[in-house]
Amino acid sequence: MDELMRTMAAAASGMRAQSARIRMSAENIANADTPGYQRKVVTFEEMYDRTNETRAVSTGEVKLDSSPVERQFQPNHPLADADGYLEGSNVNLMIEVADSREANRTYQANLRMFEQARDMNSALIDLLRK
Amino acid sequence: MELNLSVLRLASQLATHSAARQQVITENIAHADTPGYRARDIAEFEDTLNETMPHFSARQTRPGHIAFGNPNPSFEPFEVTAFGAEGPNGNTVSLEDQMMRATHVQENHKLALGVYRKSLEILRTSIGR
Repeated sequence: MDELMRTMAAAASGMRAQSARIRMSAENIANADTPGYQRKVVTFEEMYDRTNETRAVSTGEVKLDSSPVERQFQPNHPLADADGYLEGSNVNLMIEVADSREANRTYQANLRMFEQARDMNSALIDLLRK
Repeated sequence: MELNLSVLRLASQLATHSAARQQVITENIAHADTPGYRARDIAEFEDTLNETMPHFSARQTRPGHIAFGNPNPSFEPFEVTAFGAEGPNGNTVSLEDQMMRATHVQENHKLALGVYRKSLEILRTSIGR
């Protein structure tokens, strides 16, 4: 496998990792009002891809944010516990939006690298034409 | 007419160098958010050229002969990044810096292919086709 193909594999691994991150952000935002929900965090790791011979990025274990969930005193609420507290989630919308923006930016950078490698490859192939 | 094809070899080496450098830069961008990742790059083509020219390698006349020498310049990556690019999580990739490097690589690759194509055209003209 030549370098440009390996380049495209590396860029694809980056795009895959970033889209996993955006998916986690979307799940967190969807569950922002679920009682007792802990926000999920995706971790990135460096991995040597043996088939493509490239230092690809992979998503590691999905971890739960262990910060305390929001508790509000609402004794009238049907979901309130024995002490009259209603449990929320520990999702901070501001953090999720910022996180998905950053993922979006890095995804675009990876996509640009993919396109550039593809253009270089097709320019090479064009040499064969007269 | 003296046939000097070293320009073709030089152009092909520049294209190889660009492809190798493109791979390193793409790996950096893929790892733009990996904690603790150190951005890498390989030396400019001009610098590797001075070190590795002239190439020498042992001739292999039989299959059992052991290859040694340096037929192709090797492009070893080393850690380098823009000033102040290190983040709190130890990652040293700056997307802007990497984009600049990638554009440079793309220009070099275009140049190499342009020179290659032009040289072939001149050859073709000289043999009257």
